[in-house]
Amino acid sequence: MEAIAVQGLTYQYHSGSPQVLKGIDFSVQPGEIVVVAGLSGCGKSTLCHCISGIIRHNRDGVMAGNILVNGKNIEEINGASLAFEVGMVFQDPDTQLFSPTVEDEIAFAPENMCLPPERILERVSNALEVLGISDLRYANPYHLSGGEKHLVALAAVLALDPPVLILDEVMSQLDIVGKQRVGDALTRLRDSGKTIIAVEHDLQAIAFSDRLAVLDDGKIICFEPTSALLAEPSFLAAHGLIDVEYNGV
Amino acid sequence: MPFLQLNQVAFTYAGKTSPALSGINLSLEKDDITAMVGPNGSGKTTLTKLMIGVLQPTAGSIYLEQRPLAQYSLAEIGRRIGYVFQNPSLQLFCPTVAEEISFGLTNQGCDPTVVEERVGFYLNYFELTAYRNAFPLYLSHGEKQRLAIAAVLANEPEFLILDEPTIGLDAYRKRLLEEYLQKVASLGRGMLLVSHDIAFVNRMAKRVITMGDGRIQSDSGWRGNPAYDA
Amino acid sequence: MMLDPRTKMVMVICLTSLALVYNRPAQLLLLFAVTVVLLALFHFRISAIWGYLKPFLSLMLFLFVIQSIFSPGNEVLLAIGSVPLITTEGLIMGASVVLRITVVIAAAMLLTTFSSRDFVLGLVQWRVPYELAFMVSIALRFLPIFKDELINVVTAVQLRGIELKKIPWGQKLAMYRRLALPIVYGAMLKAQQLAIAMEARGFRAYPRRTYLRRLQFYWADYVVMVIFLTGTIILMIQPFI
Repeated sequence: MEAIAVQGLTYQYHSGSPQVLKGIDFSVQPGEIVVVAGLSGCGKSTLCHCISGIIRHNRDGVMAGNILVNGKNIEEINGASLAFEVGMVFQDPDTQLFSPTVEDEIAFAPENMCLPPERILERVSNALEVLGISDLRYANPYHLSGGEKHLVALAAVLALDPPVLILDEVMSQLDIVGKQRVGDALTRLRDSGKTIIAVEHDLQAIAFSDRLAVLDDGKIICFEPTSALLAEPSFLAAHGLIDVEYNGV
Repeated sequence: MPFLQLNQVAFTYAGKTSPALSGINLSLEKDDITAMVGPNGSGKTTLTKLMIGVLQPTAGSIYLEQRPLAQYSLAEIGRRIGYVFQNPSLQLFCPTVAEEISFGLTNQGCDPTVVEERVGFYLNYFELTAYRNAFPLYLSHGEKQRLAIAAVLANEPEFLILDEPTIGLDAYRKRLLEEYLQKVASLGRGMLLVSHDIAFVNRMAKRVITMGDGRIQSDSGWRGNPAYDA
Repeated sequence: MMLDPRTKMVMVICLTSLALVYNRPAQLLLLFAVTVVLLALFHFRISAIWGYLKPFLSLMLFLFVIQSIFSPGNEVLLAIGSVPLITTEGLIMGASVVLRITVVIAAAMLLTTFSSRDFVLGLVQWRVPYELAFMVSIALRFLPIFKDELINVVTAVQLRGIELKKIPWGQKLAMYRRLALPIVYGAMLKAQQLAIAMEARGFRAYPRRTYLRRLQFYWADYVVMVIFLTGTIILMIQPFI
């Protein structure tokens, strides 16, 4: 059973406006890290928003096609419960963090899941540790730096412990240490069976992924094992993933 | 004479006990490209906000063109230093993209034909022409970035501070940004780039300042900060 | 002094009720003094009080004038012909209205002396449905966000080289009007994104939710609540006894 199966997905902002997604067929196996890349405006974020169910429940716009998560059609899963199947970390941390302390923020998801307090505490401590931000436990998220906010937002979603994780450009605001930590954490999560879809530009983020999907103008033009694509720098350069002069990582 | 001079500047956020910045001594020239790097939370953004007067130092003094920064109004600083925020949404407030770019010029009484010309130029250069009448907050992150940079550049300030300008930009657009910033620099405009994109910094900057724990760890060139060995 | 947030909420309710019942400036001033003492006890920065009151100054001035003018009274200070314009009673009523608003705002500041998470916990433990509790908490949290949006825009506008203090009123008003739409829209977008983020973490998936921490009353809370409630009731009944 595939972790994510997208069939014939199209999306327009309003009926009559040009299609942002023009017929996407896409599937991800459990325990894979897939990176979705492409030039700004190609539809990568929109694709993620569709898969995580956000678009169907919260935005207008016309969506057609089927999306199955862990074998279930997202149409049949109630809005907030979809979060237990697919955890999504958004691009802008400022609109995702609303609690007085980092601990409260990370506890929010397990509280919504009705876990007992000991389990909630466990999840909070795990999430903090996995990302190496235990020292921020009692900090006010509002006063953290951009990169730290991203890490907190990621920790807050990790606390859901969903089988599928979608990250919308999380790596790009992190410094090298942060990227390394998140990369290691994601690899470990993948090894424990989680499926991860990451929207990224950064080659360093892409390097640890299993497969790379490249979007262009609303269509997937290529979906291959990352190692194979990394061996073709000219192709990657043509799609804005690396600079022409790059020699790889 | 340095364009911007900081003497023993320190800053602590209200209600906090440990300083965000301490003992900062720095001088920036008008025609240099300087990069500021450092791990998350090292105080880079805070320092840039002090430089444009959005925050006031708790100790030390800052001089802009040899005059104390405190004597300038925010608008006067804005005409000399263009600042691009890390989160571009924070500085977009007009109903359309074109108006965003023309805002500063129009409200300073610039000639409408000149304004129109500049708007057209920047829309074109940053590939935003298709979005001329779009609502800025609806654009994607990368597009908002480009718009914020265009809007600030349209004012033609002498010095630019860009806080993490490459976030959200794909490699192709990063290259375009680099080209444009190089052009701007060659016209004698100085720049301070806050970034942790090392390749970008290496390609762009003549001088590199490394921040750590609220202090300047090193100036010009990398020096054994293990987190920063690429 | 560490009191349960619910105790503080009871205090706010008592102070606000008294403020609505009292209409003499002396009483309201006393209430204000009590509120300030409480704020100080809860480590609220007294200097920040002015910052919270400042946005309401023009409203208060407006209400003061409206309340004072044309109010009937015995001691006429100013009249147009035979119509009394300003009377002492009118001035007193005007002052009362202003003081009332001041007390209510100051009492509301007591609500900021504990975290928004404790506020939600307090309401939930009082059997308020959690969606409502979060809604109120986030609405309260949105006031500073709105303020920040405003500050951001004003800063951004000035950084584009516009000297806000020096441009003529007409132009300034026109600019504010044009900026109002994106500001409001921006804040609304933020609110929407926040709602989406909360749902993306399972908010409202189930009719109930659990909590990492629970609030607990101690004897100090009971004592304070009893004092405030009985005191308020006595003071409210007193004129009728």
